[in-house]
Amino acid sequence: MSVTNLLENWSQFRQAHPVGDAPHAEYKWALSIDLDTCTGCNACSVACYAENNLPVVGKEKYDAGQMMHWMRIERYWDEDDREFPDQGAQFLPMMCQHCEAAPCETVCPAGATNHTADGLNSQIYNRCVGSRYCSANCPFKVRYFNWYDYPTTENVWPAEMTQQLNPDVSVRSKGVMEKCTFCVQRLTAAKSTARSEGRLVRDGEVQTACQQACPTNAITFGNLVEPESKIAKQWAAQQVELAREGQAKDEEAGGSDLRGYRIFEELRAYPSVMYLERVRESAI
Amino acid sequence: MIENSFNRRDFLKVMGWGGAAVALSGCGNTSVQDGVEIVTSYVEPAEYALPGIGVYFNSTCAQCDAGCSITGRVREGRVLKLEGNANSAINVGKLCGLGQAGVQAHYNPDRVRQPLLRTGDQGEAITWDKALGLINEKLGAVKGDEVAFLTGTVSGHSKVLLGNYLDALGSKNHYAYDAVSPSVVRAANKKAYGVEMPRLRLDKAEVIVSFGADFLGAWVSPVHFSQQYGQFRKAGKDGKRGVLVQIESKMTLTGANADRWLAIRPGTEGVLALGIINALAAAGVSVPADISASVKAYDAANVSKETGVSVEQIGKLAALLKARSPSLVLVGSAAEGYVQGSQIAAAVALLNQVLGNVGKTIEAPAHVPFPQIAATVGNRASLQALNNSVAGGKVKVLFSFGVNPLFTAPPALNFAENLKKVPFKVVFAHYLDETALAADLVLPLDSNLEDWGTSVPEYLTDGSQLNIQQPLMEKLHPETRGLGDILLALLKQRNANEYKDFEDYYAYLRNAVIKNKSALGGALVDDDTFWGETLSSGLLKLPAGASSLSGHASAVSLSAVAVADSAYPLHLIPSITANMRDGRHANQPWLQESPDPLTTIVWDSWVEMHPKKAKELGLVEGDIVEVASRNGSLKAQLYIFPGIHPDAVSIPLGYGHEAMGRYAKGIGANAFKLLDVVVGQETGELALHETRVKISKTGKRVIVVKDEGAAGGMQMHKKIAVRVSTDNVKLSGEV
Repeated sequence: MSVTNLLENWSQFRQAHPVGDAPHAEYKWALSIDLDTCTGCNACSVACYAENNLPVVGKEKYDAGQMMHWMRIERYWDEDDREFPDQGAQFLPMMCQHCEAAPCETVCPAGATNHTADGLNSQIYNRCVGSRYCSANCPFKVRYFNWYDYPTTENVWPAEMTQQLNPDVSVRSKGVMEKCTFCVQRLTAAKSTARSEGRLVRDGEVQTACQQACPTNAITFGNLVEPESKIAKQWAAQQVELAREGQAKDEEAGGSDLRGYRIFEELRAYPSVMYLERVRESAI
Repeated sequence: MIENSFNRRDFLKVMGWGGAAVALSGCGNTSVQDGVEIVTSYVEPAEYALPGIGVYFNSTCAQCDAGCSITGRVREGRVLKLEGNANSAINVGKLCGLGQAGVQAHYNPDRVRQPLLRTGDQGEAITWDKALGLINEKLGAVKGDEVAFLTGTVSGHSKVLLGNYLDALGSKNHYAYDAVSPSVVRAANKKAYGVEMPRLRLDKAEVIVSFGADFLGAWVSPVHFSQQYGQFRKAGKDGKRGVLVQIESKMTLTGANADRWLAIRPGTEGVLALGIINALAAAGVSVPADISASVKAYDAANVSKETGVSVEQIGKLAALLKARSPSLVLVGSAAEGYVQGSQIAAAVALLNQVLGNVGKTIEAPAHVPFPQIAATVGNRASLQALNNSVAGGKVKVLFSFGVNPLFTAPPALNFAENLKKVPFKVVFAHYLDETALAADLVLPLDSNLEDWGTSVPEYLTDGSQLNIQQPLMEKLHPETRGLGDILLALLKQRNANEYKDFEDYYAYLRNAVIKNKSALGGALVDDDTFWGETLSSGLLKLPAGASSLSGHASAVSLSAVAVADSAYPLHLIPSITANMRDGRHANQPWLQESPDPLTTIVWDSWVEMHPKKAKELGLVEGDIVEVASRNGSLKAQLYIFPGIHPDAVSIPLGYGHEAMGRYAKGIGANAFKLLDVVVGQETGELALHETRVKISKTGKRVIVVKDEGAAGGMQMHKKIAVRVSTDNVKLSGEV
C-alpha cells in the first residue's frame, strides 16, 4: 500500500467509530472545555487524583517524566517577542481525547486498548503487556505508564492514605499503561441505574470528576447522540462534528466567528473533546 | 455499582448523623487502631453503612477561611473524596484543589497522635489527664493577664468557648494572626465603605480592574469568585462578555487570565489609580471638584513615567471604564505590599466611587445577627504585638493553634528567641511543625474530617450562614481530640458547674444550636428534626438583618515611592499561591505535585525573574542563586518568567519547612525568612512587598522539575491553545 493510496483513500482504511452500519447507539460520551472561562487553577487535576487513585510520584520521578496526572493543565506563552505576556497565559486542560480513530488502538499488540460502544477509548489493565506503543503513538501524550509498583513504593500511599483509595477504581500495578477514562466508573453506575429504571441516562445525571470540581463551570460533559443534551447543543452551535475532517471554523479563511475546535484536527484522529477558543477583548 | 439509584437528597435527610453516639460507635466496618484493618461481616452492618454504596455527608472545608461547604463521599466508613456542597451560596457545589486535598490532611501519615511533653530535646508521650492536669497546674501559678492565646481566624462556637475560657482566666490576650491576610484591604474598606468586607459582585460587572487582587487564586474567597468569574465571562444572550484588566508587578493566576495584564513598577499602583481618575475627569465623567482638583497633577505623561504603564494604555483603560458600566475595581497585593498600602487602597476606593460602582458591584455584606460567633479575623500586626509582649517577658503561658509563627515570622522579629522567654508553651497541633517543636506541651487535634464545629465565614455572599462541621468518619487515631473538646475540658477546670451538662463539645454544640432554634428558622419543628436537618444540609442560614454601606469619597494624597536601593536593587515579591499559601498545608502531597499554574514547577521553590533582567545578570533557568535581603538569605533555582516587572523577583511562600512531615520537610526554601520588618503607615501591618534583595550566582545549576510539556511549553505553530479577539467572534449565539 503506497502512502499516496493510504492518504487518498483514508476513509476506507482508517479504523474509526462509528462506522456507517454501526453508529453509536444510545450513548456517545463527549466533552467540551471553554478556554475562556478556564482559569488554569488545577482543581480538575486534583479531583482526578482523588477520584482515580493516581499516585503521587515525587520530585525525582516527576523529573524523569513519570508523573501520572491523567488531567494536566498545559500553559503556553505567546511566542512573539513581546516584553510582557500582556494578554495573559494560555491554559489548556489536556487529557485523553477519546479519539474515534484512535492512533493508540491500532498499535496495541495485545488489544488492551480499544473502543467501547459508547465511544470511549478504553484501557484494559489486565490485558496490557506494557509495550508502550500506544503512548508512543498518541499525538496528545496523555497516556501514563506505571514504571513502578506504586502501591508498594514508599510514601506513595503510606498506611492511612490507602483508605482514601476509591474502591470503584482499580489500583494499577507495575508495567501497565493508564489514562483518563472519562470517569468510566461513574458512567457505568449511571447507565446501570438508568437501565434498571428502563430509561436512558439523563443529561447532567452523570458528571466527570473534573467537571464536578471546576469552579468556573468551564467543562461540559454528556451524551453527544442525545440532541437535547447540553454537550450536543454546544457542539452543534459551534458546528463541530465528530466524524468530520476539519471543522467549519478551520475551513473559512481567517476563521469564522465560531470558537469551537479540536486539537490536531489534521491528524484525523477525530477526538471527542471540543475546545472553545479563549477570547480577548480588543478594546483594551 | 448501584450508587446512583439512591436519591442523594432523600438519603441525606434520612441519614444525617443522628447523634454523637451513633456517629462515633458504629461508624464503619473498618478500624485502623494499631494499623490493623478489622474486616467485619456485612450481615448486620450499621444502618447507614451499606457495603459498596457511597453515602454523602455534608460538612465544611477547613483548608482556608473561605468557608466552602463540602460533601464527603463515605464508603464502608471511610471518607474517599470531597466535593462542593451545592446548598452553599459560597461555593455552589464547587471546590478548589486545596479544598479537595483536605482528605490528605485527614489521612496524613505525619499527624501527631498523642499528647507530647517536652523533656529536654525529646517529646515524651503522656496521657490526656496528665496533660490537662499540667496545664491546670501551670495556670495556677500565673496571673490571668500572663496567659495568651495565639490563633488564626476563629468564629462560631469554638470562638465562644475560647472567649469564655479567656474570661475565666481573666486574660484579654487573644492574638488572631494570619501571615497572608488581606488586613490592609479590610482597613481601607472600613474607611471607604464603612464595612471591612463588602460583597463584591464580579458577576454583575462589565469591567473588572484589579490591582493585584488574585481572586481566582488565593484571595479572600477564591472558589466563590471563580464561580462568579464564570458568569462574568459567559456572554449570554446579550453577547456582553466581562473584561478583566489586571495591574500588578508579578503575574498571579488572575493576571494570567486577564484580557490585558499591565506590569507596573512596584508600589506605584496608587499613582495609576489617581491617573485614571484624572483621565476620566478629562473625558467628561462627573467627578467632584475637590477630587478632580486633587488629581490634576496625575496627567497621563507623568503617571506613565512613574508607573511604567504606557500613555496609550492609560487612555484605553479610562475609555473602557467610561464606556462600560458597572465596573468593579479591586485592590489586593498592592495594598498589602507597601508602606503606603492604605493610601493605594484608598485611591482604588476613590476610583470605585467616581465610577459609581458603590451600591452596584460593591454591595453591603450580609449581616451576622450573632456577633459572638462572627469571625475574628487574623492579621499580621497581632504577631508583632504578641512578639513585643513575649520579648518583654509578659507572657508566662502561651496557647497556640491554627498558626505556625516560627515558620512565618520575619527573622528581624527574633520571634523564635523571644519565645524561649515563655516558660510554658502549649500548641494544639495536627503536625509537629516548627512551632509545635518549640512547644513544651503538644496536644494532638482531630482532623477536620473527624471533628465537630461551627464557623461563620468572614466573606459572606447571599445572606449570612453558620457552617456546620461534622465528622465524616470514625477517628483514625484514638488519642486525638477535637478543638472544642479541648477548650471545653479546659473550661471545666475553671468553671465545672457551668459546663457540667455538656459531656462533650458535641453536646454543647447541639444545645447551643437548638436553644436558638426559633431564631434560626426551626420554630415549627421538634429539636431532633431540626438538628437532623441542620446536619444534613451542612449549614444554617442565619436570619437576615439590615446592613448598609457608608463612607464617602475624599481626596487621597500619596507620598513619593522610595528611591532605589543600590545595595539591594531588586524588589522581592513573596507570592501567595493557591496551593501553598502560608505553608500550612505543605505536607499534603497532592498540593506538592499539582504544578504551580504559571511556572508548572513541582516539589520545590523557585525565583522568578524577567528574561531581560536575567540576561543582564547573565543568569539562565536552573541557576541556583542566592537571594539576600538585609535580614536573611536563601538559595533557590532560577526560573525565567516573562510575567514579572524587571525590577522585581518573586519567590512563592509556603515552601522550605524544617519540620512538619515527609512531604514538606526540606522541600524548597522559606521566603518568609527574607522579609524585612517594614510596616504600613496607617495599619501597622507588615508590608509584604517592601523587602529589597540582591541576587548572586552560586555557580551551581539544576534542571528545573516542571510540567511544561513535551515541546517545552511551545505550541510550535500548531493550533493547540488558541486565542481569538472579540472582533472575530460572535458570542451571543453560544450555548
